[in-house]
Amino acid sequence: MVRRSGRGAAPDSVVRVVARMLPAPSVMVAAALIVKGYAEVGDGFAAGVIVALAVSLTYVAVGADGAEAVLPVLRHAPKIAVTGLLLALASGFFPLVYGEEPVSHQPAPGEPLTKFGKLELFTQLLMDIGVFLLVVGVLVMLLHQFGRLRGEEKS
Amino acid sequence: MALDRGRAARDEAAPAPRLTPDWPGWVACATAAVGFFACLVGWLAGGDGFSVPWAPSLDLHLSFRLDGLGAIYGLLATGIGALVFAYGTRYMTLHLEHERRGAVERWRFWPWMLLFAMAMVGLATAQDLVLVFVFFDLTAVCSYYLIGFDRSDSKARTSAVMALLVTVVSAVAMLIGAVLLYAAYGTFAIPELIERVGPSETTTVAAALIAVAALAKSAQVPLHFWLPRAMAAPTPVSAYLHSAAMVAAGVLVIGRVHRLLERSELVMTGLLVIGALSIVVGGVLALRRDRLKQVLAYSTISQYGYMVLLYGMGSSTSNGAAAFYVMAHAVAKSALFMTAGAVTMATGEDRLSKLGGLGRRMPVLAVASAVAAASLAALPLTIGFFKDELFFAAAWEEGSVTTVLAVVAAALTLAYIGRFWVTLFLGAEKGQVTERSVVMVAPVAFLAAVTVVGGLVTEPFARLAASAGEVTAGRPVEVDPGYHLELSPENLMAIAAWTLGGLLLAAPRLTTVLSRTLARAGDLFGPRRGYEAMLHGLDRASAGVHGLEVRDLRSSIAAVLVPAGLLVGLAFAATPTDGAFALGHVSGADWVILPLLGLITVVTLVIARSRSRLAIALALSVVGFALAAVYALIGAPDVALVAVMVETMLALVFVAALARLPQEEPDEDRGSVVRKKRRRRDVVAGSIAGLAAFVTVWGFLSKPAAESVSDDHIRLAPEAHGGDVVTAIVADFRGLDTLVEITVLLVAVIGVATLMRRGKTW
Repeated sequence: MVRRSGRGAAPDSVVRVVARMLPAPSVMVAAALIVKGYAEVGDGFAAGVIVALAVSLTYVAVGADGAEAVLPVLRHAPKIAVTGLLLALASGFFPLVYGEEPVSHQPAPGEPLTKFGKLELFTQLLMDIGVFLLVVGVLVMLLHQFGRLRGEEKS
Repeated sequence: MALDRGRAARDEAAPAPRLTPDWPGWVACATAAVGFFACLVGWLAGGDGFSVPWAPSLDLHLSFRLDGLGAIYGLLATGIGALVFAYGTRYMTLHLEHERRGAVERWRFWPWMLLFAMAMVGLATAQDLVLVFVFFDLTAVCSYYLIGFDRSDSKARTSAVMALLVTVVSAVAMLIGAVLLYAAYGTFAIPELIERVGPSETTTVAAALIAVAALAKSAQVPLHFWLPRAMAAPTPVSAYLHSAAMVAAGVLVIGRVHRLLERSELVMTGLLVIGALSIVVGGVLALRRDRLKQVLAYSTISQYGYMVLLYGMGSSTSNGAAAFYVMAHAVAKSALFMTAGAVTMATGEDRLSKLGGLGRRMPVLAVASAVAAASLAALPLTIGFFKDELFFAAAWEEGSVTTVLAVVAAALTLAYIGRFWVTLFLGAEKGQVTERSVVMVAPVAFLAAVTVVGGLVTEPFARLAASAGEVTAGRPVEVDPGYHLELSPENLMAIAAWTLGGLLLAAPRLTTVLSRTLARAGDLFGPRRGYEAMLHGLDRASAGVHGLEVRDLRSSIAAVLVPAGLLVGLAFAATPTDGAFALGHVSGADWVILPLLGLITVVTLVIARSRSRLAIALALSVVGFALAAVYALIGAPDVALVAVMVETMLALVFVAALARLPQEEPDEDRGSVVRKKRRRRDVVAGSIAGLAAFVTVWGFLSKPAAESVSDDHIRLAPEAHGGDVVTAIVADFRGLDTLVEITVLLVAVIGVATLMRRGKTW
C-alpha cells in the first residue's frame, strides 16, 4: 500500500514477518473482545477494527496483490459485510414479529440469562457479531479499493 | 464509417417497429375497473372506514373512510382511470412506435399510472392531515415521472420539474399548517380538528397554508403556470391527471378541510378572489391558444376556478354544487383531452390552425366530443347543464358580483370550447387522417354516453354530490338539479351566458386582442417569471456557496469549522451561563492527566508550525493516543479502547494518503500575496473553531445541565446485562441508531466503490 517509488521499495523483513503472523492472533483477540464484551470492555466494533488493522498491516507489508494472495479469504469481504448488516438488522427488527418494539432484546432486562464462562447468551450478542462482520468487511473493502488504486493507474 | 451511415439510412427508411399488445396497460385498466366497482359497492354499502395506529405518540393514524366526498373522487380516479388506461394502451403503443422506443418503456409508464390511481384513492379517503400530505406528495412524484416520460425531450423534463416543484413546495405549506394545528389542538385527525378548531390567528395561518397547497395543486392563479407546461406529457397523462385526478386533488382537499377554512373569513375571501381570477385568466387565455392541449389546459385552470369559487362562497348550496361540478367537469374534460390525443395521433398535427373539417372523416369522435364540449359549455341535455345550473343558483344566492362573474365565466367557457370544437371538426378539410383506432375513440364515446345519461337521469349524480356536500358542509345539503321551464334566475343567467358566449365566438378579432394582450402581460409580469427568477437565483446562490466551499482544501475545512464555531458562539450567547462555568480541583489521578494534556498542547503547536507532512500526521496520532490515555485514566476504558483502535486506523490512513500526494507544493503561490492572505484567514478560522471547541468542552465538564441522560445509561446498564456502558448503549439503549449507522456505513462503502471503480465492490 505504501510504496515510495524512490527509496526502499519494500518494507523490511521484520514488518513482513509480523504482518504474516498477525492476522490469526488478531482474530483470537477479536473473539475474546466479543465474548467478554458485555461483562467487560470491548464490543463488536473494536473487535472488527482489530482484525482490520491486522489485515491492513499485511497490505502495508506485502502490497495489495500480495495481501490478497496471502489471505484469499479477503475476497469474501463484500459478502461478509452484507451478512453482518443483515444479521444485525435481523436481530434488531426480529422483535417486531412477536409484537414488540425493535431492538428489544431477549432475555429482557432483569431476567436471568445463561452464561457460558464469560460469554453471555442473549440477542445482543447477535447484533454485536453482525457489527463485527460488517466492520471487518467494510474496512477490508476500503483497503482493497484504495490499496489497489496505484496499481490500476499503472495498467 | 460509410457502412455506419448506410445502416443509419436503412434504419430511417424501415417502418417503425410494431409493438406487441400492451398487456401492462390492460392490467392497469382492469385493476382500475375493479377499483371502480369496489368503490361503488363500498359506497352503496354505506361507506365504512377503518383506522390503524401509525405513530400513536404523535396521534397519527392510518385512517380512511369512504364517505361521500371520498366516493366521488375515488370513483372518478378509478372510473376515468380505467377508460384512460384503455385509451392509453393504444396511444402509448403508437407513441412508442413513432419514437422508435421499445415495449420495455411501458414499464416506465404504467406502474406510475397505477400508483397514481392508488394514491388518488388513498387521498380521497384519507382522514388525517399527515396522511393527506403523504398522498398529496405521492401523486406529485408520480406526475413527475409521467410528465417527464419523454425524457429525451428537454421541454418535458423542465415541465416535469416545474410541476413537481410548484406542487411539492406548496405541499410543504400544508404540512406546516398541519403541524400548526397539531401544536394548537393536539391532533392531525381531520374530523376531530373540525370539532376542536375555533377562529383564531393560528387557524387563519394554518388554513391559509393548507389552502395554498390545495390551490397550487389545482393550478389556480398565480400558481397555475405549471399546468400548461405539463401538457408536454403524453396525452393519456393529461386526460387523467390534468382533468380528473391531480388537479382535482387540490379541490378535494379544500372540500375535505372546508370547515377548517370556514373558521377564517380571510381564507374564504381569498378562495373567492383566487377562484374568480383563475376563471377569468384561464378562460381568456384559452380563447386563442393554438395547440389543442393548451386550450384544454387553460380551460382546466378556469374550470377549477369555478369550484374554488363555489367553495369560497361556503353555503350549503355551493358546497353541493362544487361536488357536482367536479364530476361533470372531469367526465367532459377527460373526454376532450382524449379527443385531442386521438386527433393528434390520427393526423400528426397538434395545432388548431393546421386542423379542420375532421367531422366527416372522424364522425364518431366528432359527435362524442361535441357532447363533451356541450357538457363543458353547459348546454341542455348534458350533465354539464346542471353543473352550471347549480353554479348559477349559488352565485345568485351570494350576490350581484358573483352573478355577473358567473355569467362571464360561462360565456368564456362556451366561447373557447366552441371555437375548439368548431375549428377542429367543421369548416374546410385540413390535415391527413392516417391512423384510425377504435380503442382510442371508444372511451370518448363512452364518456359522452355518460354525459348524456347524466343529462337525462340526474338522480344518482345528485345523490353522490349531496352526500359529498354533506361531508364538506357538515350538515345535510340539497342538490336537486332539474329542468325548470320558467323564468328562474338560473335560466335567465344561462341564456345570458349563451348569448354572450355566442357573441364572443362570432367576434374572433376581439377575443384575439383580449387573449393576446393578457398572454403578453402574463409573459412579462406573470408568476412564471418569478418562478424562473427564483430558480436561477437559488441556482446562483448554491453555486456561489459551493464555489466558496470547494475552492481549495482550506476553504472546505473552514466551511465546516467556521459555521460550527459560529453556531456554538450563538448558542453560548443565547444560553444563560452565569456561574455555570466553574474551575475544578486538581487531585489524585489528575496529576497524571495534566502532563498528558501538556504533551497534547506541545504536539498541537508542533502540528501548527511543522512543514513536514509526515511529522504532522504522526503528531496527530500522538494527540490521539494521549487522549486515549486520558480516557483510560478518567475511568472510561471502553472509550479508550475504541479511541486507540480508531487512532491506529487513522494513522495508517494518513500515511497511506500522504504517500499519494505530490512531494512538493505547487510553486506558483509559494510566498505570494494570496498565500499570505490565506494564512491569515487560516488563523482566524482556526481560532474561531478552537475557541468554540474549548467553550463547549469546558461547558460540558462544568455540567451546566443538571440532569443528563448518561446518568440513566450508567444506572440501567447492569439491568440490561451490560458491564460495559458503551456496549449497552450501542447494542441496546440506542440500538436503533446503531442499526441505521451501520446501514449508512455499508452504503458509504458502496459509494466509495462506485466512485473508485464503477461499483465493483471487489
